[in-house]
Formats: sequence, structure tokens, C-alpha cells
Amino acid sequence: MVEFDATAEVNLTGFALVSSIIISTGSLAWGYASMGLETIPRWMIAFGALWLVSLWQGWKWFSPLGLFLSVLSAILGLWFSFPIGWMFSGAIFALFAWDMAELRQKLHFMTSRDDVKGVARRHIARVSFLTLGGLLFASFLILWWRQWTDEWGMFLLGATFIGSLQIIAWFRR
Amino acid sequence: MSRIALLAALMGVTRNCMSRIALLAALMYLIILAGVGMLNGAMVALALPLVLYLLAGLWRGPEELRLTAERTVSAERIAPGDSVIVELKVTNHGEALEQVLLHDPLPAFLTVVEGSSSRLVSIPANESISWSYTLQGRRGSHYFGEIKATAEDHWGLIIKRAVLPTSGQLLILPPVSRVRHIAIQPRQTRVYSGVIPAHQGGTGIEFFGLREYQMGDSPHHINWRVSARQDGVIYSNEYEQERVADVGIVLDGRRRVNDFSGGRSIFEDSVLAAVAVSSSLLSEGNRVGLFIYGKRNKWTSPGYGKYQRERIMQDLALAETGETQNFKSLIIPRRLFPPNSQIILISPLGGGELNLLSQLRTRGFQLMVISPDPVSFEARVLGDSPSVKLAARIARLQRELLLRELRHAGVQAINWDVALPFEQAVRASLSRPPAFLRAIQRGRGAG
Repeated sequence: MVEFDATAEVNLTGFALVSSIIISTGSLAWGYASMGLETIPRWMIAFGALWLVSLWQGWKWFSPLGLFLSVLSAILGLWFSFPIGWMFSGAIFALFAWDMAELRQKLHFMTSRDDVKGVARRHIARVSFLTLGGLLFASFLILWWRQWTDEWGMFLLGATFIGSLQIIAWFRR
Repeated sequence: MSRIALLAALMGVTRNCMSRIALLAALMYLIILAGVGMLNGAMVALALPLVLYLLAGLWRGPEELRLTAERTVSAERIAPGDSVIVELKVTNHGEALEQVLLHDPLPAFLTVVEGSSSRLVSIPANESISWSYTLQGRRGSHYFGEIKATAEDHWGLIIKRAVLPTSGQLLILPPVSRVRHIAIQPRQTRVYSGVIPAHQGGTGIEFFGLREYQMGDSPHHINWRVSARQDGVIYSNEYEQERVADVGIVLDGRRRVNDFSGGRSIFEDSVLAAVAVSSSLLSEGNRVGLFIYGKRNKWTSPGYGKYQRERIMQDLALAETGETQNFKSLIIPRRLFPPNSQIILISPLGGGELNLLSQLRTRGFQLMVISPDPVSFEARVLGDSPSVKLAARIARLQRELLLRELRHAGVQAINWDVALPFEQAVRASLSRPPAFLRAIQRGRGAG
């Protein structure tokens, strides 16, 4: 059995986790802010910052709470007819972050002789495909309801860019 | 974080799977209910990523685990501090498993010094995975009965568990401390020749007395000086016979006298003393038995030689302190420790042993108490504050008083400061009998 350096995989999932938290809370805040609200987006950004702090502090209970509150915010946003894309993005990336938090925890416990690289790669690949599918589905809904905006297009490009960066970094190693 | 804590956390991760499913299900229920309630199609559609996530896990969840395990342990008997390599091979006879946690549970007295006793691996169908790890440990015994396998689906939502039976045993024997000779003088000895003075004239080394010459006596034994003073009577020197004896070792494993705050225990020193004493007595040919009065009351019936030493070592490897019944009610079976034999109690004392020892003394047992000093043991870690010094002084006085009472009761009491090696600390007191026993001996000789 080949031995791997688990640190690189943990760093990689850490990057994916931080990115997804920022995108999730950012999307929701952007969606709420685009409807003229000011206070709630600030609270959402503060919550996102707290979520990031929870990673540093090792609060394992925070990621389920983050998922729950993000999905709840998305439901409320959709109820008030806020932009579908940002609400979907907030919920999907919160799901991604919750999943990554669990994976990261698991990778921490694995020894250097375990198949850390394989486990991490397969898991991130699967969850990335699911996220991509979710975003495409959201885009389809946006088109269906004729809510397409330039911001959403830029966001899709940005998300694709970050995903591509990650894949390139993977292959380069 | 220690390895044990990591493993505990890892098992915690697998236990979280049910709560993960519950969270996802709750969120889906909330979204769909809200969407249907508000007749909002986009809201219902929001449940789709969660549904897909859950279905993906359910679709490719692990089948029933069909795993077998084999184990090889490099040594079955080691001394504390020695290393032993455990090799494990797990074969998957079923479908491919993408994530399976293999965990070899170990008791607290064993420490993994290299490698890991758990692995999170992928095992293709009909293939095997092997790994090894190195163990060290304190005194004790462990039977490697099983490996725990926990397989997960892709998302960590569905888990399957299996226990894989294996075999293997590890015995970590207590450390051996050598004591050259232990001078005991029981009232009764056995028929076989040994090194214990039997209080009977015959062949031996030590002068015992004089008697009239009898046919068959060696001319070398004739005491010419005494014979010259007598008219027509020739006297022979008589020597004290040396035989083997019955010795019963009682190891006091009561928690209340052995264990101290901070998880420290003086019991390991008592075990070390028991090993040294039993080894020395057995090597001199005596018949030695052992009684461990601890977590489990364990009798090792008396016996001779290397086989008996092995039995005693194995029982001492398993000895643990425990909450046992009152020491005063201890009954020593005659068939194990015959009356007039020697009993050696190894105990830190302080738990009302005086009555028991007095009773044993009146029943004819010759008694020796080897007592690891709990006062010095405890005082060393408590610091040098005036209150500690005063408390230690009071405790030491009480202990001295107890030891003095024991000596007055005819018990040979030996105080052992465990900071010193056992053989060094007790050499002077164990190599020859105490003054009162020598006086009794002289009295018998004169009589």
C-alpha cells in the first residue's frame, strides 16, 4: 500500500470548505441585499465569519447549524421571491460546506498510511459534481423564471474558475 | 491529541451518520412542506439537491460486510517495555468497499508506539489489506479476540458494522527483581532437603548439637575434644538438617491501601516484591503458593520449580487492585497453606491487618510482612510544604507504631521505601532471620 502525505489533502479540503462557506453566506447576503435589505445581509456575513471561526476553534456542532440556518434563509428568501439563483447557491454551498466539514474531520483522524488521497479525491469529486448539478439546475430555473442577471453569470464563471483551480492544483501534484 | 482520543473521535464520526440522515430528512421535510404550503415551485425545487445527496448515499450504500481477519503477534510473552509487532490481514469476500474503518480495540495498558491499530481504507472485492503496528505496555494480559469493521457509503450516511473474529494473546509479565536468599524459619518443614533450617539434627552445615556416637556416623563428625573429657563415651557432632518449606505469599491488592490520588498506585511495587520473593523461594526448592487479594481473589495452589514460577508469574501479570471484602475475614485454606508453614504478606498495610496477622500467628504460621512504604510514596509527590511535612510525619509515626505492634506480635515486618530497588532495600533484612527468631533458635538449640 502506498503511503501519502495527509497534510496536503487536509489543506485542500480546508480550502474547499472555506470557499464554500464564503460562497454560501455571500450568495445569501447578496440575494437579500439585492432586494434592498441592509441589516440582514450584515448578520449573514457575520454568521459566515462565525462559521469560519468555528472551523478554527474545532466546533463540530456548528456545521449542521450552518446548514440548517442557510437552508432556512434560502426558504425565507424564496418565500419573499428573492432571486432564485442566490438562494439556491446559498443552500447548495452550505450543503457542500457541511459535507466538507465532516470529510475534513475524518481526514484528520486518518493515519499517513491510509488511503487519504483516494478518499479525499473521490469525495470532493462527487460532492463537486453534485454542486455543479445544483448550480445548473438553479440556472435552468432562473432561465425558466426569466431572472437571469449578469451577476449570476459572473458568479457561475467565478465558481467554475475556483473549481478549475482546484482541479488544476490536484493534477499538478 | 492521544491516539485513543483520536479513535474515540473517529468512532464518534461513524455514530454521527444517523444524525446526518436525520438532519437531511428534516431539512427536506421543511422545504417541501413550506413549498407545498406556499404553493411555491422554486421552494420545492430547492429540496432536489438534498434529495439527490441522500439518494446517492442510499443507492450505493455498503452491502453486508463479508470480511475475514487474520492476526499474527510476534511474541506472546514479553517484559514491560519490550515491543511486540501485531500484523493484521483483512480479506474482503464480498463487494468492493470504498470506505471501511478497521479498528483493533486495545486495552488501556497497551500503547501503540508505531503504526496504528485502526485504518480507514478501500478494499476491492476479493482482495486483502495488510498492515502492522507495534505495541508496548505495562504488566497485564490481553486476548486479541476481534477487529471491528465499519463501512460507509460515499457520503458517510449509511453505515454497516461487523466484528471480525481473530485470535492472539499477549502476556506482559511483571519485571523480575532478583533476591539472592530469603531467610525464613517456619516451624515445620517438608521432607525434602533444601536450605531452610529444620530444627532437627542430621546432615547439614550448621552445628546443631552433640549426641553419643552411633554405628555408621562418619569419623569426621566425632567431636574429639568433648569425647576426650568423657570416659569411654564417644560423641559425634550433629548438624541441623536443611529442608524445603511450605511458603504462602499473600499479595494485598485492596484498592483502599494501594491506590492514591492522581491514578498512582503502589500496587506495582507490591507485585514486583511478590515476583522477587516467589522466584527466590522457588529457586531454593521450596513449595510456594500465592494468594492475590485484589479485584479477583486468586489462589495459585502451592507447587515447586519452574512450572510453578510460570504459574505465579502469569497470575501476577493479571493481578489488579479492587474493592474487596474485609481483609479481617480472610480465611486461609489448610490444604493450600498448611499450619506451621511460612506466610509472607506483601501489603502497604494500614487497613486493619493486625488482628488477622495475630490470629494467623496463634494458628502456628510463621509470618513475614513486606510492606512497600505508602507514606514515602505519597509524600514524594505532595511537595515540601509545612502542612505536608507535618502530615507525613504523623502518618510515618502511625506506621512505625503499627510495624512495632506487628513485631511485638512475633511478625517479621520489613518496611520498604519503594524509591530504592527492592533487592537493595531488603537485602539486609531478608538475608538473615530477625534477632527474635535467632534468639528462639538459640533457645531451642540449648533445650
